[in-house]
Amino acid sequence: MIWLALLCALIAFALFGLSMDDHHNRRLGTRPTQVRKRRMRGVAWGMLVMALPLSAGSHGWVFGPILWLGLIMVSAGLVFLYLNFAVAPAKKG
Amino acid sequence: MSKSFRQSQSFLHTWSGLVLGWLLFFIFAAGTIAFWREGLNRWMRPELPRVEQPEVVLAGAQRFLQGKAPDAKSWFITMPSDRLPGAQIFWQPQPKEGEKPRRRRGRDTQALIGASGDAVTARDTRGGEFFYRFHFDLHYVPVIWARWLVGLAAMMMLVAILSGIVTHKKIFKDFFTLRRGKGQRSWLDGHNATAVLALPFHLMITYTGLVTLMAMLMPWAIVANYAERDRFYDAVFAEPEAVERANQPAPLVNLVGVVRDAEKRLGGPIGYIDISEPGDSSARITLSRSGTSMLSARVPSLVYDGASGRMLWQSPEPGGATVTAGAMVGLHAGRFADAGLRWIYFLCGVAGSVMVASGMVLWVVKRREKLPDPARPHFGFRLVERSNVGILAGFPLGTACMFWANRLLPVGMQDRAQWEVHTLFLAIAFSIIYACVRRPAQAWVALLGATGALLCALPVYNMVGTPSGLFAMIAQGDYVMAGADLTVFVFGLAFGAVALRVSRYRPAEKRKRAARSVPATAMPALEPAE
Repeated sequence: MIWLALLCALIAFALFGLSMDDHHNRRLGTRPTQVRKRRMRGVAWGMLVMALPLSAGSHGWVFGPILWLGLIMVSAGLVFLYLNFAVAPAKKG
Repeated sequence: MSKSFRQSQSFLHTWSGLVLGWLLFFIFAAGTIAFWREGLNRWMRPELPRVEQPEVVLAGAQRFLQGKAPDAKSWFITMPSDRLPGAQIFWQPQPKEGEKPRRRRGRDTQALIGASGDAVTARDTRGGEFFYRFHFDLHYVPVIWARWLVGLAAMMMLVAILSGIVTHKKIFKDFFTLRRGKGQRSWLDGHNATAVLALPFHLMITYTGLVTLMAMLMPWAIVANYAERDRFYDAVFAEPEAVERANQPAPLVNLVGVVRDAEKRLGGPIGYIDISEPGDSSARITLSRSGTSMLSARVPSLVYDGASGRMLWQSPEPGGATVTAGAMVGLHAGRFADAGLRWIYFLCGVAGSVMVASGMVLWVVKRREKLPDPARPHFGFRLVERSNVGILAGFPLGTACMFWANRLLPVGMQDRAQWEVHTLFLAIAFSIIYACVRRPAQAWVALLGATGALLCALPVYNMVGTPSGLFAMIAQGDYVMAGADLTVFVFGLAFGAVALRVSRYRPAEKRKRAARSVPATAMPALEPAE
């Protein structure tokens, strides 16, 4: 369950990251429309919220929320590193 | 209006961060290492095998103490587990008439019981305990001074974090932005990224860190509510009444059985065992639950009769305030964290250390571009620039040197544990001197490079010079030891990589400065840190 929670948080931050003009342009080749941005962020928030009961399911309601915050930080960090350091499909950002 | 508010916050952020910044870096970095306190305690005693059966060790500890100090005033046993090098035991002899009881634990009243249940002699080291104590007691400084300094630094940190959120208002908008290879911009993005990615951690750790010192920093609530200070401590740390020694010999019950019963009643593993008047009919056994199994750092405890093994007393259900404070301290220390969560704590701590360090560097980078005469900077600039090199690069170098001292100092050496610690500070002193005599660009590369090389070489030495080399430990499934080796190696690589980057960076910077000098003067110099 902890892996599911991590997956949710990762997807959430991937969506947050990609909903930014620069990263969207670099990774997907287009600029996102306002609607698309809003939709991506909506799903991302949903994913983050979903990760909380999953964390609690794995570690209980005392340690679960701590784990949840930890997973959020880890996945934000991983997405940050990926978006900035992994080679993007050839196009300058 | 809002602009001037942001500027005031920017000023606050810059100076609250700078003034105690180096101390803050020590505290943050040492605290981060201290998340591996127990792991380091084992890793710095590589000759000791892992504890497989805690009960065998506990029984051995009781046997040893009965032979060594049968009529001591008290015994103290750290409950062994596979995370610890063994059972650390202390005993306190009966106080002699007219002699003040010794508060410090002398070398002759402590021992370490190893995995086999017998007393072992390992190299004399403070292990991970050093980083834990240094993190709030510093070193070479009277403890009370140190705690006030640390408390002050932590308050500055809180101010710096909060004003930083206002100052760098774009951190949330630019959440995933890192502009690489662009001088000041890159430093700023790096500073922001390490800050914002682990922001919940930074806020939590700083705030709860202050909570651990609250009784000292803000004693007024206690003064106002308790006429005598001792009454407060009695209320917070409840204890059963002390018993007089009866002077009637009575054998102590088997501790293993008592521990089993206590673990069942408390619902979690036992951390510490305290036995008063062992071997007397008035003997009392106090067992406290281990902090590894619960959030609150204020652990409950049970008292048993030492002669009969009956439970006599149970610590009262803690009140709301106690639980709150206990949970905050627990959150700070993270003793409950399993391997995964502990890694998150550690990585967040690394991010925090990088945040402090990059903030200090940023102070220099920002001002360098505005220097009237870059060849002859003013004193304050030079002071910060050189101190940055000496301290920010010196502490990692010192830690690497300390690890090597732990491996290389002769086992029979007098005050060996102390000299390990001296090595760390000698290395920092050397770094500061070195930073004063060399150009910063050179000094950064040399010190960081040396740190990288020393750290990378450690696991190699461990394979040759100790019985707990990397591959042997992986084969045994001992991931604490193997993980420590791998982590040290990865950090070595990272320091090497940073050194390499710094050494390559110089020419690019010069070119940029020349290109920028025109617009820099033309632009209004109004760009607070952002």
